[in-house]
Amino acid sequence: MNTNSNAYTVIYSTIIVVVVAAVLAFVATALKPMQTANEKAETISQILTAAQFGEKASWTDNNATIAFYKENIEKAYTVDLEGNEVKDLDIADAEVYSTSDLKAQNYAIRDGAGAKLPVYVFKNGVKVIPVYGAGLWGPVWGYIAVGSEGNIAGAYFDHASETPGLGGKIKDDPSFRAQFIGKKFDFSDEKPFAIVKGGAPAGKDNAIDAITGATMTSNGVDAAINTWAKAYEKVLSAEISVEQTEVSADEAEVNVEE
Amino acid sequence: MDAKLKETILNPIFKGNPVTVLVLGICSSLAVTVELKGAFVMALSVIAVTGLSSFVASILRNTIPNRVRIIIQLVIVALMVILVDQLLKAYAYSIDKQLSVYIGLIITNCIVMGRIEAFALGNKPVPSLLDGIANGAGYGLILIVVAFFRELFGSGTLFGFHIIPQAAYDLGYMNNGLVILPPMALILIGVIIWIQRSIDKDLQEK
Repeated sequence: MNTNSNAYTVIYSTIIVVVVAAVLAFVATALKPMQTANEKAETISQILTAAQFGEKASWTDNNATIAFYKENIEKAYTVDLEGNEVKDLDIADAEVYSTSDLKAQNYAIRDGAGAKLPVYVFKNGVKVIPVYGAGLWGPVWGYIAVGSEGNIAGAYFDHASETPGLGGKIKDDPSFRAQFIGKKFDFSDEKPFAIVKGGAPAGKDNAIDAITGATMTSNGVDAAINTWAKAYEKVLSAEISVEQTEVSADEAEVNVEE
Repeated sequence: MDAKLKETILNPIFKGNPVTVLVLGICSSLAVTVELKGAFVMALSVIAVTGLSSFVASILRNTIPNRVRIIIQLVIVALMVILVDQLLKAYAYSIDKQLSVYIGLIITNCIVMGRIEAFALGNKPVPSLLDGIANGAGYGLILIVVAFFRELFGSGTLFGFHIIPQAAYDLGYMNNGLVILPPMALILIGVIIWIQRSIDKDLQEK
């Protein structure tokens, strides 16, 4: 057969493409339930890690993770931008918001309407809220656990495609997320929470140090936290006890100038 | 035949190594060698992709129309890469997350297409399969050697376990930030090429 004729070339290409497409469609459909289950378990384990239930490695498989979640969750519900409860999430089914759900909510926050933001309340007294935003190369997201006195009890961050070893540290470097523990959201400040290059100013308990060499990713996480924290302001400030601050640094400076 | 088969398998590991001699696949060997674990999985994935693509291309070699052969090769490679990605997502999710974009980049790895074009289209399926696997292994070997040094000196760990003791840090030892960055990987590959050429005089250009 002449394998160089036009007709042969066209028919051959068509057959190859159709066969390849069929194989891929079959594989994608066959593996979909497993992949979705993996993603869900991953999300749950990130929420649990933020809520300080030990590092991810403690759960051996998806079922163990989900069982652990069901054991320790007190209540899961969604709120609108005013902080009113909208509806409960199904705990028996371990219903959580996936990354793509968070993306949709991120648009809703931006538009200022129709947001249904998830809140996960655990039996150890922490509320976990998600954050979502843009990093340098792709989306970054994370979970922040707020304790009963308004202190941040823990955090966990993840990303789609930040540079390994630099921006990737938001996920890979435990010391980055450890910085959040014991900090607070301060809604009287311009930014409720800040990630500051060169380290948090002394005495400021709503700021942490950025990652060296990953300014764009750090800024992205900063923006994600602030956008979402403001959206959750009512939920979060309900628990934050207001403390009287002493004479602020600005006032002290003004005094010197006078 | 046996000698030839042996040559097919052993040549890509050292004398015809795709990274250090043919200088293919440099881009991904700079990107995924920050940690040994990632390098290891990338090596296995590339071995699977090069082996299977060469095998399939070799089966089809007498039917592929010459004028569109590159596109057909690309479709075969893309199919294999997506299969590997889907399987990792289903069975090794955490590793797939770690490799993220690099799995997709196997498609653009010149080694895969290069071996189909140079070997699989002119040889029987079984030698082609072996050639693909051996080239993947030659690539993987370099990846693992580079990742070993980068993880050890850049992060002080191997496979995520701390190797350099805390006492050394207390005495003022610091992880080398440069080793984490891609330029150092290129320098390391350059050093490997240098060592290899000084061992094997045949590789030196006159």
